Amino acid sequence: MAPLQKRALFTLIIGVAFAIALIVVFILEGDITAFNQEKAFRWIVYAALIGVPLTYLILIDLTLRKPTQLDERDRLIMQRSGRIQWLAVIFSLAAWMIILTEVYQEQRQVPVVFLTLIFISTLIISILAQSLGILIGYWRANRNG
Amino acid sequence: MARIINQIRRLRFDHGEMTQEELAQRAGCTRQTIIALEQGKYVPSIELAFKIAKAFGVSLEEVFQYEE
Repeated sequence: MAPLQKRALFTLIIGVAFAIALIVVFILEGDITAFNQEKAFRWIVYAALIGVPLTYLILIDLTLRKPTQLDERDRLIMQRSGRIQWLAVIFSLAAWMIILTEVYQEQRQVPVVFLTLIFISTLIISILAQSLGILIGYWRANRNG
Repeated sequence: MARIINQIRRLRFDHGEMTQEELAQRAGCTRQTIIALEQGKYVPSIELAFKIAKAFGVSLEEVFQYEE
């Protein structure tokens, strides 16, 4: 397994675990507006918001810094993964737009908490999609060349 | 269909059973790329092709051939 492939797998596992943990926390809180009311809860989410991209950057950066760990073939696979990342982000934003429009059509306004939720979900989806794109890229490269 | 074939595996053998890792280090790429090249699943850039040829001390044509 190539170093970048390992990092992508590691990032995917951490990202999925983080996303599940976040969903569980929101379910346990019971109400989505708890985010607005509880300061501690907000800080946990903020910390996660900074922590996740930071972990991701460190993991990828550690790989990119070593020339023998990442070569032209890896870079090509990484570039191609951008398409999956872009599509995933567009679809997640479209899903948010449709759901929020339909759910809050009557009220004519959307709770502020959704700004943060849209950002968090887009960030997580973007990272997961890139990792998935990298793994698919290696799988395709090993299969078809 | 035209394709580019290579003699990397044979050249490694001719160079005292040079390991894939050793060749990767000399050419500045990963071992996985050498494996992909030997299996014919990857066509390298001109730069990497020259580096591989240089690692063996041979010309580019001795490593890579264009087949129609």
